[in-house]
Amino acid sequence: MQAAAGDDALSVTFGALADPTRRTMLARLSEGDATVNELAALFPAISVQAVSKHLKVLERAGLVTRGRSAQQRPAHLRTAPLADVNAWLEHYSHFYEGSLDRLGEHLARLQGQPLPPPTDPEGS
Amino acid sequence: MVELEFVRTYAAPRQLVWDAWTDPDQIAQWWGPRGITTPRESIELDLRPGGRMAFEMVDDATGIRYPNSGTILEVEPPARLVWSDDGFPDGGGKGTATVTFTEVDASTTTLTVHLLADFSETVRAGAEQGWGTQLDKLVEYLAAVQA
Repeated sequence: MQAAAGDDALSVTFGALADPTRRTMLARLSEGDATVNELAALFPAISVQAVSKHLKVLERAGLVTRGRSAQQRPAHLRTAPLADVNAWLEHYSHFYEGSLDRLGEHLARLQGQPLPPPTDPEGS
Repeated sequence: MVELEFVRTYAAPRQLVWDAWTDPDQIAQWWGPRGITTPRESIELDLRPGGRMAFEMVDDATGIRYPNSGTILEVEPPARLVWSDDGFPDGGGKGTATVTFTEVDASTTTLTVHLLADFSETVRAGAEQGWGTQLDKLVEYLAAVQA
């Protein structure tokens, strides 16, 4: 399996998510479709043009589709790429966050009391 | 390729954190999130460049075993450990993990886990199996990232 540096779908999705404005837009779209103007209203400090550009990035990543017929072309959240990212995050964030929590507890135990026997898994 | 990084600071001397990470007796005490046990007898760790590492994680609730294996690439006690992960049986998740142990002071250590992995195969396989969207969780996560 060859790793295509940076251009696999997941990397594109991550790139699109790597911006707080775009994440806020997605959170808003998870509540329902919205027009560019409605999205722009969330960001008083950002121009409508800039919001429109952000929307294009989300569109390219397949995270958003735009209505065709309506003049306003409301943006619609497309969840498939998010499911991919989520599945990945599920695997690794849960695993490492959980492990590192337990490592912290282990280190505290080590320094406070003798190491429990290795055959006695935590929580049993 | 996708990158992910976890950083934690522990109130423990660097050598202690290194030992916890590299001694199989200790790894069995903490490796895996809650609800997952890594039995001591499943852990194999040949701590030198080219050495093999392998272990099995067991889901306490279901008893399902998740084997994992890889190769040690770099060992610089007590500062840095790099290994390659063979990935999942479906061929995805192959990648490299770099763990850095930084001494803040004599009794404080910052641990950085840097993961570089290829998940395109996993994602493809998962999509074919019809993974749920679990959007609520993701929105929650995104909110946490922004906080």
